[in-house]
Amino acid sequence: MSEKNAAAAVNKTASYTPVDADFQWKDNAKELGIDENFASQGFWKDVFVRYFKKASAVIGLVLIVVITIFAIIGPQMNEFSYSTQYLEQKNFAPRIAVLERFGIFDGSENLKTTTGSMKINYYEDKGFPDLYYWFGSDNFGRDIWTRTWSGARVSLIIAVAAALIDMIIGMSYGLISGFFGGKTDMVMQRILEIANGIPRLVIVTLLLLVLEPGMLTIIFALMLTEWVGMSRIARAEMLKLKDQEFVLASRTLGAGSFFIIFKEVLPNIIGPIITQVMFSIPTAIFTEAFLSFVGLGIPVPQCSLGSLISEGFNSFTTHPYQIIPPIVVMALLMLSFNLAADGLREALDPKFKEM
Amino acid sequence: MPENRTKVFYFCAVFSIKMNEGDTSVAKYTLKRVITALFTLLAILLVLFILMQLMPGSPFNDEKLNEDQRAALYTKYGLDQPVTVQFIKYVGNMFRGDLGVSYNISKNTPISQLIQTRLPISISIGFYAVLIGAVLGLLLGLIAALKHNTIWDSLATVISVIGVSVPSYVFALALSYNFGFKLGWFPMLFSPNDIFKSSVLPSISLSMFTMASIARFTRSEMLEVLGSDYMLLAESKGISGFALIFRHALRNALIPIITVLAPLIVDLMTGSLVVEKIFAIPGVGSLLVNAIQSNDYNVVISLSFIYSAMYIIIMLVVDILYGIIDPRIRLAGKGGD
Amino acid sequence: MKRAKAVVALLMASAMLLGMTGCGSSDGNAVNTGTSAGDSAQADGSDVSGTASSSDLNIMLETPVESLDPQLATDGTSFEVIADYTDGLMQMDADGQAVEAVAERYEVSEDGLTYTFHIREDAVWSNGTPVTAADFVFAWQRAVDPAVASEYAYMLSDIGQIKNAAEIIAGEKDKSELGVTALDDSTLQVELNVPVSYFLSLMYFPTFYPVNEAFFNSCADTFATSPETTLSNGAFLLDAYEPAATTFHLTKNEDYYNADNVKLAGLNYQVIQDSQQALMSYQTGALDTTLVNGEQVDQVKDDPEFKTIGAGYLWYVSPNIAAVPELANLNVRLAFTMAINREAITGDVLKDGSLPTYTAVPMQFAAGPDGSDYSADQSRYSDVCAYDAAKAAEYWNAGLAELGIAELTLDMVVDADDAPQKVAQVLKEQWETTLPGLTVNLVVEPKKQRVEDMQNGNFQLGLTRWGPDYADPMTYLGMWITDNSNNYGLWSNAEYDAIIDECTTGDLCTDAKGRWARLYDAEKLVMDDAVIFPLYTQCNAEMLSSKVTGIEFHPVALNRVYKNAVKTE
Repeated sequence: MSEKNAAAAVNKTASYTPVDADFQWKDNAKELGIDENFASQGFWKDVFVRYFKKASAVIGLVLIVVITIFAIIGPQMNEFSYSTQYLEQKNFAPRIAVLERFGIFDGSENLKTTTGSMKINYYEDKGFPDLYYWFGSDNFGRDIWTRTWSGARVSLIIAVAAALIDMIIGMSYGLISGFFGGKTDMVMQRILEIANGIPRLVIVTLLLLVLEPGMLTIIFALMLTEWVGMSRIARAEMLKLKDQEFVLASRTLGAGSFFIIFKEVLPNIIGPIITQVMFSIPTAIFTEAFLSFVGLGIPVPQCSLGSLISEGFNSFTTHPYQIIPPIVVMALLMLSFNLAADGLREALDPKFKEM
Repeated sequence: MPENRTKVFYFCAVFSIKMNEGDTSVAKYTLKRVITALFTLLAILLVLFILMQLMPGSPFNDEKLNEDQRAALYTKYGLDQPVTVQFIKYVGNMFRGDLGVSYNISKNTPISQLIQTRLPISISIGFYAVLIGAVLGLLLGLIAALKHNTIWDSLATVISVIGVSVPSYVFALALSYNFGFKLGWFPMLFSPNDIFKSSVLPSISLSMFTMASIARFTRSEMLEVLGSDYMLLAESKGISGFALIFRHALRNALIPIITVLAPLIVDLMTGSLVVEKIFAIPGVGSLLVNAIQSNDYNVVISLSFIYSAMYIIIMLVVDILYGIIDPRIRLAGKGGD
Repeated sequence: MKRAKAVVALLMASAMLLGMTGCGSSDGNAVNTGTSAGDSAQADGSDVSGTASSSDLNIMLETPVESLDPQLATDGTSFEVIADYTDGLMQMDADGQAVEAVAERYEVSEDGLTYTFHIREDAVWSNGTPVTAADFVFAWQRAVDPAVASEYAYMLSDIGQIKNAAEIIAGEKDKSELGVTALDDSTLQVELNVPVSYFLSLMYFPTFYPVNEAFFNSCADTFATSPETTLSNGAFLLDAYEPAATTFHLTKNEDYYNADNVKLAGLNYQVIQDSQQALMSYQTGALDTTLVNGEQVDQVKDDPEFKTIGAGYLWYVSPNIAAVPELANLNVRLAFTMAINREAITGDVLKDGSLPTYTAVPMQFAAGPDGSDYSADQSRYSDVCAYDAAKAAEYWNAGLAELGIAELTLDMVVDADDAPQKVAQVLKEQWETTLPGLTVNLVVEPKKQRVEDMQNGNFQLGLTRWGPDYADPMTYLGMWITDNSNNYGLWSNAEYDAIIDECTTGDLCTDAKGRWARLYDAEKLVMDDAVIFPLYTQCNAEMLSSKVTGIEFHPVALNRVYKNAVKTE
């Protein structure tokens, strides 16, 4: 406001006689608490609208939902269970009722032997004309369809739980360390270096040997080792932002450290954080798969996408169809998480509004 | 957002003053970091020793071994002594370059002899993998970001998604089957007399994950940077094309990318069990896994320690690189001194 | 100012990039020099395999060598390689019988307690010194020396029954008091505590191989870790090797006393842990022999080069009889063993030719006094060990009724390896289907830990295996005596202990036929009580090039012998 306007205002009010009501407290605590930049404009509604404007983001979300639904109901969709073995029905190629008439998914496969390749159809050879394994059967005669979806279920639970927990721990750690800097940062980074300097495999193997093997132990082991990446991202972002003007402004306005960290900086770095979460999901699935590979994954006969891939890997050159379903589901899952994350990041970051 | 821009304008002065404070001596800072790094390494060594004590099982656990024999073996290797004594002895020996001997993976072989040929192989394969992964990843990420929301972007996304969702051992076997077995372009197994050629397939299969991660991060960081105010400013100043992207955008996107790349470098250079297993590479990755599973304490400790040392060195380099790339955050320690 | 800073930053960034590439090339060089200078062995290896003669035999190994020190080695791979370049007093013929090697003849005293070996004149080490009786004395004393702490010391004490061996191992006597003496350079005399019927067959076991003392001392701590620190007196010479190598090479030893009969120019070993890569390498001709994984058998079963070869191991499930009250019930144990469909395990899952086994001693490794296989008759205990789901359910219900329970949950410890995990999954499924109310949880652990858990009694059911150390059923039956560390279930039976005692140190030592009959009595006790649930005798599925003949395969001690192998072009 310029001097002149202020003076005019004073002049205007001069003729007015104040009444008692003018000196009442205006009960505006609620309004003061609202951050005008975001909340007053319906931030989350904005995010929602922006998200659904983007086709790829919607596709990603739909895919996640579809895979999740299949992970829930898929194992119940046929008569097989994930663990029941029919050894006489092992290594049957995929066969689907209608499609088999078109010469695909008819239960036959080309087996490449050292003496030449031959076409075999176990459904006919072994006398099971009415049997349909949609994705084929594995080397124990278990239905790959059922196992793929129950594996997807296990992997989703492990990955999402591990990713969320390491996001919370890693993010807080990184933000705090980066914000306070100096000695705090030094000490926190050294602790992190010690924790992370020891090869992950040593810690994870040790944990799995000491604790009862199972899903909870795997989540715990992943949590203990995966948070470091997240904290490093959060710290780097914090270093980038903490000297920026809005932080200084907020501090000048008397905001506390933790308010600045979680209310001011956090919303600004949600993009990289979400990207990192999306990456810690495959990392978690992978670490679990690696544990399966060295024999310490989810206890057999339970399965995860990772353990299915490493099981299918052994039949890669003999029965390649066994490794395809878990890999395709895994790839779709990653793709959809990535698309959804992208959409979410752009929807969350108002800067993208201008693009 | 207009509010943000006002802030930028308002605190411009404060900002430029802060920038000049960053001239603390890099050498002094580096020295300080190196000394703390040494203490960190010592702490890691101690933690490793404690972890080995917690490890169930014993290195001498053949079905055919009886109690007396096991006791004799413990005495022979000094494992019957208290951890503290073992630790002090180990550190003492280490300063003399003696990492101890293997208990059961390769009985009585000095570990330095065991790793002197394996580590260079793992490091070189890992290095090629990082190089391939980082270069391709950056390119892919840049293309995706610059051609945002086009078919190129989607293609880059699909490639990087395949890269993160297919395990390296599947790539490895597929590559070996096609380029080794069918076409015969590259050897299927590692051979010491043609290190370069036989490193090609393992390096490519290892680089996929790095490439995908870097591509994704480059894309997301570049998008953020491209959408920022200073890019708008630079653009409005008439800077364009190559200079705009490389001098302004990529430089700002590099910090998080380096942050992601650093631990990947360590992981790749210290060997990968699965790829080593498939290509029969005499590297350190499979050695570590075998050692853990057979409780070969000395090998686990030595390899973990090498891993830790590499990790800490790379983190140190990254911290210093931060300062070089972005002078504003040089030597983040300034607030505390 | 901002522009200047930007320029500086760009310069630095490019410097960094240059630095990285610079780093790259120097790094690459370092690697190359590292391999060429730091490791002559490997460089040699490359030369050799580069110029590999076509009559080199290319052999695939699954695991690397653990140790080439004959007294420290414990695994089959190491034994095989040690035996390639070292000869003991005796060697195995094609049928696994002990025949003379470094010893040209031997005498056994009438009481069976003293063996005298006469060493051949033309046996020399590859550095030119002759092989003498003193080399054996030195090696055997090493084997029992507590300071060396050889894991296979018990081969000399418990199994070989060499005089004073047990006392030396326990630290009660000095190693010089071991009952083995060099009467002169070419005469070695061995004294035993009791007659040991299979003593000669121990002489081809690498723990008993000679070591030249002077050479050993000249190598100090590096003995048997490189070609320079190994000495050969056998058919081949180690010429490219480093510890735990993935490739190494041996070449024919021209100074070998039997060199005229060695037809191969050399042996080229390649460690491949991935079976699919191994088979592809075999198909390209890079390997002459390779192991085949069960899943690949479909691919190769019509190939004339496909073979299954006995490996001697008995796989079995050990119930923890002492610690788990439910498993102390005989009916429950019988139900378990009767519910196992062993044919399905070997035929549908393993597919490597493994033989379903219903006896406590596996098949095809121990021949009796009349030359027949000890376990040839697999139906001997069919009333207590066979696949019979109905009978299993009967036993199961009787057992549950006795225990007064309706449900039972047990854990089974399993090695974290491929085959045991597969077998365990099938066992779980078979048991749970046949025995209602039973739940079996699989606990997968690395082998070392699984063994420790079982030895400490910290398990309920355990899937384990045992390989024979010598060609006599005692290598198995000796396990279930009271307090043996491999009697995991802590089963104890005085009658059994008495029979075993009688057969090892008692009157039956010299009566081969009588001993054989008593061993069956002992085995019957184990089977009747279902102390273990035998599963199968392991076989390996292998591809063996049709160009190669004469490789000898054995289930005991030395799995593959190449001395007499021929490779035609």
